Amino acid sequence: MILQSLYDYYQRKTDLPREGFEWKEIPFVIEVNTSGSVVQIEDTRKQEGNKKRGKPYYIPQRVKKTRNVVANLLWGNAEYVLGLPNSKKLSETKSKAKETEYRKNLKDKREAFIRKIKSLPPPCQADEGVRAVVRFCEHNDYTALERFTEWKEVQTSNQNITFRLQGDIELICQRQAVTDAVSKSATTATPDGVCLITGDTDEIERLHAPIKGVMGAPKAGADIISFNRPAFKSWGKKQGRNAPVGKRSAFSYTTALNYLLGKDSRQHLQVGDASTVFWADKPSPLEDQLPDIFEDDPVDDPDRGALAIRALYKAPHQGIAPINDDQTRFFVLGLVPNAARIAIRFWHVGTVAELAKSIQQHFDDLEIVRSRREKPHLSVLRLLRAVAVQGQRKNIPPNLSGEVMRSIMGRLPYPDTLMQGAIRRVRAEREVTYPRAAIIKACLNRRASIAQTSEKEITVSLDHSNMNPGYRLGRLFAVLEKIQEEAGLDITATLRERFYGAASSTPVTVLSNLMKLKNHHLAKLENRGRRVNLERLISEIMDGVDDFPSHLNLADQGRFNIGYYHQRHALFTKSTETKQGD
Amino acid sequence: MAKSYCLEVSGDFACFTRPEMKVERVSYDVMTPSAARAVFESIVWKPAIRWRVTKIEVLKPIKWISVRRNEVKAVVTTRNVQAAMRAGSGNLGLYVENERQQRAGLFLRDVAYRIHAYFELRDPGFHKPHFPHLSNVPINRGEDDLLALPENNTVKFMNMFERRAFHGQCVNQPYLGCREFACAFRLVEDLKNEPRPIDVTKELGWMLYDLDHSNSSDPKPRFFPARLDNGVVHVPAWESEEVRG
Repeated sequence: MILQSLYDYYQRKTDLPREGFEWKEIPFVIEVNTSGSVVQIEDTRKQEGNKKRGKPYYIPQRVKKTRNVVANLLWGNAEYVLGLPNSKKLSETKSKAKETEYRKNLKDKREAFIRKIKSLPPPCQADEGVRAVVRFCEHNDYTALERFTEWKEVQTSNQNITFRLQGDIELICQRQAVTDAVSKSATTATPDGVCLITGDTDEIERLHAPIKGVMGAPKAGADIISFNRPAFKSWGKKQGRNAPVGKRSAFSYTTALNYLLGKDSRQHLQVGDASTVFWADKPSPLEDQLPDIFEDDPVDDPDRGALAIRALYKAPHQGIAPINDDQTRFFVLGLVPNAARIAIRFWHVGTVAELAKSIQQHFDDLEIVRSRREKPHLSVLRLLRAVAVQGQRKNIPPNLSGEVMRSIMGRLPYPDTLMQGAIRRVRAEREVTYPRAAIIKACLNRRASIAQTSEKEITVSLDHSNMNPGYRLGRLFAVLEKIQEEAGLDITATLRERFYGAASSTPVTVLSNLMKLKNHHLAKLENRGRRVNLERLISEIMDGVDDFPSHLNLADQGRFNIGYYHQRHALFTKSTETKQGD
Repeated sequence: MAKSYCLEVSGDFACFTRPEMKVERVSYDVMTPSAARAVFESIVWKPAIRWRVTKIEVLKPIKWISVRRNEVKAVVTTRNVQAAMRAGSGNLGLYVENERQQRAGLFLRDVAYRIHAYFELRDPGFHKPHFPHLSNVPINRGEDDLLALPENNTVKFMNMFERRAFHGQCVNQPYLGCREFACAFRLVEDLKNEPRPIDVTKELGWMLYDLDHSNSSDPKPRFFPARLDNGVVHVPAWESEEVRG
């Protein structure tokens, strides 16, 4: 269904390139006159951030090549178009004493480029533009190019080059005669099999166009459908015959996917290691909003995510976009690279309404008290980083991002590894951060609601009625820590630093000692009223706990963390309130 | 039509690999006819019979799991085999430690299906080129002639199947798409007391039906437009219009 949906999306998007063509950024255009001599070299690049990007042109599709010499039609890099050596490759081959081979290879490339042009059908050969390029190639004269300032960069960068005829607006490869020939050769097919996407007879594609833009995959692109090892083949079939996909379908799905993964695509977001794309059957507001909802806010527009999420919640009330009854089908596809191939990490099909509801549910589950500095909505990346060592993106466990996305979209329990990760990080760093508390709360609540247990739901802020021993002990620990802090002792390691791990997993080993220690700390408090208040708070908490348990299971450890987080938060908000009251 | 049988199969995992994504595996949403056929064949198969799947009922919601695992990337080359045959000895071993590769897979999780199929007698001569030792019967004999043979008797095969399926006996352990996803099976005799399939209706796209082995040097895949209709995939007949390939 993945390829079928992409195929349908291509049919829906009429502005995507037609068969045999693609959009490609070309940094240099050589302008020639009819006799084939150079008029100028145009540098089409524009500064974008700290990179220069060439202007995108609609040109004949790139030919798939690996190591062999295959030329594109009327465009290519300097090696092909001008036979210029790539300086990096040249020095490399020189050091390996293979320079002569490289020179020969260059010659082959150049010849292949010219042969490709000469193989065009006769009406093209008669075309002025094509004739000009052929003449230019025959002159083979660099001195004419050397007087231009752009020449130096053309020489060193080995970027893509194409041609324009003097006085024309379009490129030579965009001239009518050429485009006709290209689309004709792309659409004429001798049917020799049944396409498994459309079910129609078509010419079976041997090699599919590469998919570009998946993070971690080779820059030149990787494949979803490829059979690059003997073990992948069946029944002695070769390449594309192992999975018969028609030429037209293959072009459609690769073009659609490349468009979705493209640099300027708004339907692309990175979730952990998975490059995620999404699309709908019909244009839908969710197509635009999804990246804002799940990704970190861009630096230049810090409120974008919050606005998108608010739109998701408010839309039904204000009647702007009836997103909640939108029955348009919505597809989410997560891709990860694996050894020059692309693997599907997750695939979700649902309606826009379902997905909107699932996303709302996700944010509802995550909601927990937070300090005013924190943003209300946590991006998926922030959640994942909260369970990664040192909070670094590269330490996020592989596969976790996909599992999390699947849980969000399918309203399934969050993966166990997410909560385990959060608890482990809390123990290791002895710090219950806002994202970690949110994760633990969401995991526990969602699991309970799906299993329909009678477990008490964890609230957004401190819950005095929650009698779970884990939760209570977490609260107790927060108060004990607070007492120690207020005692104003000059110590290097606080209670939390020394005992948090033990208290949250095996309470009996430390908490009875800490209860004794507390008395000493309380004695140091100068304010008597405060002392009484804290004592009262402790007895209120201990009211529901008969005995310190010998150990807490993982879920209760989670509740311990939440109890600690809630109580600590409550202690601090109260103190600031009283200060404001004074 | 011959008597139709129903088996309930269930397992923790399943992967009915899509041909287009068989390297980095992605499963079809539901069981394919060829996988269902293989389950029946694992209980009773004879050169004289052919199983035809008619219906696949999905009993549990479609759930997915993404797993990476090691698989072997190489095959023993024909040339090495030929060389070994000529020399009379040789090493055709394949060392998995050297030839393995990590591959991702998107599998189905917690599945259960009720599969319906019947069998018919076929000319055992069909297998003669592959299994000459199995086929003692002269080829190209008429259907009536075959039915008359005492060893190719529908009732006999029916009894065999019923007896074996009832006792949970099989020639090889049935599996759900990939050998490593073995499944449990149960003969369903009274459909009245069975749970209903899931309440899902959707198009599944073109699905692999089976391979056409009529030209054994170049087997061709055949596809059919699959559709989940209230949790049921109705499998068209092999010869019907909808089946292409």
